[in-house]
Amino acid sequence: MGLGFISGFLGVLVLFHAAYSTIQYRALLKITEEEFSGPPLNVVVELFIGLVICIWAALTLPGKFLSIHPDSDENRIVSLPDNLDFMIFNHRRKVFPLEMDMKLRQ
Amino acid sequence: MVTKTEETQLNNLENQVDNGGGGAWEYLTLLRKLKLRRSDKALKHGLSILNNPKLRSTLGPDEWTLYEQVAVAAMDCQHLDVAKDCTKALRKRFPESKRVGRLEAMLLEAKGSWELAEKAYTSLLEDSPLDQAIHKRRVAMAKAQGNISGAIEWLNKYLEIFMADHDAWRELAEIYVSLQMYKQAAFCYEELILSQPTVPLYHLAYADVLYTIGGLENLQTAKKYYASTIDLTGGKNTRALFGVCLCTSAIAQLVKGKSKEEKEGSQVQSLAAKVLEKEYKQKAPNKLPQLTTALKSLTLAS
Repeated sequence: MGLGFISGFLGVLVLFHAAYSTIQYRALLKITEEEFSGPPLNVVVELFIGLVICIWAALTLPGKFLSIHPDSDENRIVSLPDNLDFMIFNHRRKVFPLEMDMKLRQ
Repeated sequence: MVTKTEETQLNNLENQVDNGGGGAWEYLTLLRKLKLRRSDKALKHGLSILNNPKLRSTLGPDEWTLYEQVAVAAMDCQHLDVAKDCTKALRKRFPESKRVGRLEAMLLEAKGSWELAEKAYTSLLEDSPLDQAIHKRRVAMAKAQGNISGAIEWLNKYLEIFMADHDAWRELAEIYVSLQMYKQAAFCYEELILSQPTVPLYHLAYADVLYTIGGLENLQTAKKYYASTIDLTGGKNTRALFGVCLCTSAIAQLVKGKSKEEKEGSQVQSLAAKVLEKEYKQKAPNKLPQLTTALKSLTLAS
C-alpha cells in the first residue's frame, strides 16, 4: 500500500517535471525564434518513465483484481443455499435426538 | 449461492472450530451468510458463545442475531427447551417484534401443535399481510403435515404476488419433482434460469428434468443445457459431463437408422468422456475401470 502510493506520487511528480521542462523549452525556442516541432528526447523519455510508474501504481494501489470468469473458483457456484425459509422440523432428528446435554444459562 | 472459494473457507473454518481452534463466531456468521443448514454445529457452538458472558458481551447488538440463529438451530435439533429459552430472551428484549412472533410460531410448529401455529401465523399476517417469511412458513407447515397439494396451492398463491422470489420457485420445482410432475417442474426451472442465467446448477437441474421426461426433442434440449452447464463451470461439474454422455447415447438409440447430423454430437460426448476419464484418473484411480466399462456400454469410450 505504502510503496504503491509513494511510486504513484513519484510518477505524478515526474509527469509534472516533464510538463515544466516542455514549457521551459518552448520559452527558450521563443527567444531563439525557432519553430516548435516537438519536445526534446530527454523529456519524451521522462514522460514515458512517468507514465509507466503511474500505470503500475494505478494497477497495484486500488487492490486485487477480481476474476470475471464464470468458471473460476471465486465465481463457480458449487451448491445452492439450503432453503431455510421453507425449513421443516419433523425429520429424523425427532427420532434420533442429539446426544448432547445443553442448556441456555442466563 | 456458495462458490468454490467460500466452500473451501467454510470447510477450513469448520475443521478449525470442531477441533477447538476458536473462530466459532466467524463460523456462525459464515453459516448465516451462506444460508446453510448445519443446525447441530450452529447449536453447539452458538450455545457455547451464549453461555459465556464475556464472549457474549463482545458481540454487541449481534448477540440478538445469534439468539435467533441458535433458537432456529435448536428447533431443528428438537432441543425445544433451548429454543424456548432463546425465544424468551428475545421476547424480553423486543416485546413488540414481529420477527420474534414468527419465531414463537415456529416453536409451536416444532412442537407439532399445528393449529396453534396456524393461528399465530394468521394473526401475524393480519398485521402485515405482505410479510414474505410468514407466507413461506405457511407453505412449509403444509409440507410438514404431509399436505403436499396444499403446499403447492399456497406456494402458487405466494408466487402470484412475489414472482421474483427465486427461492420459492426452487422450492416449488423441488416439490414438483418429488411428485414426479416433471412438466411443471421444468416450467419452474425455466423461470429460475430466466431470473439467474449465470447459475449453472439451475441449468443442470433443468436438463435433469428434461432428460427424465424423455423424448427426442427433450433429450436434445437437455443435452444443450448440460453443455451450457459445462460451459459455465469450465467442465468441473461431473454430473453435467455424465449428462452429456447419457443424452448422446439416448439420442443415438432413438434416431437409430435415420442417421443425420450425428457427427456434430459425437465430438461433444467424446470430449466429455475424455474429461471424465482424466478426472477419475486424478481423483479416484481405483474407480477408473468401472468408468471405462460404463462409458463403453454407452459406446463412448475413446
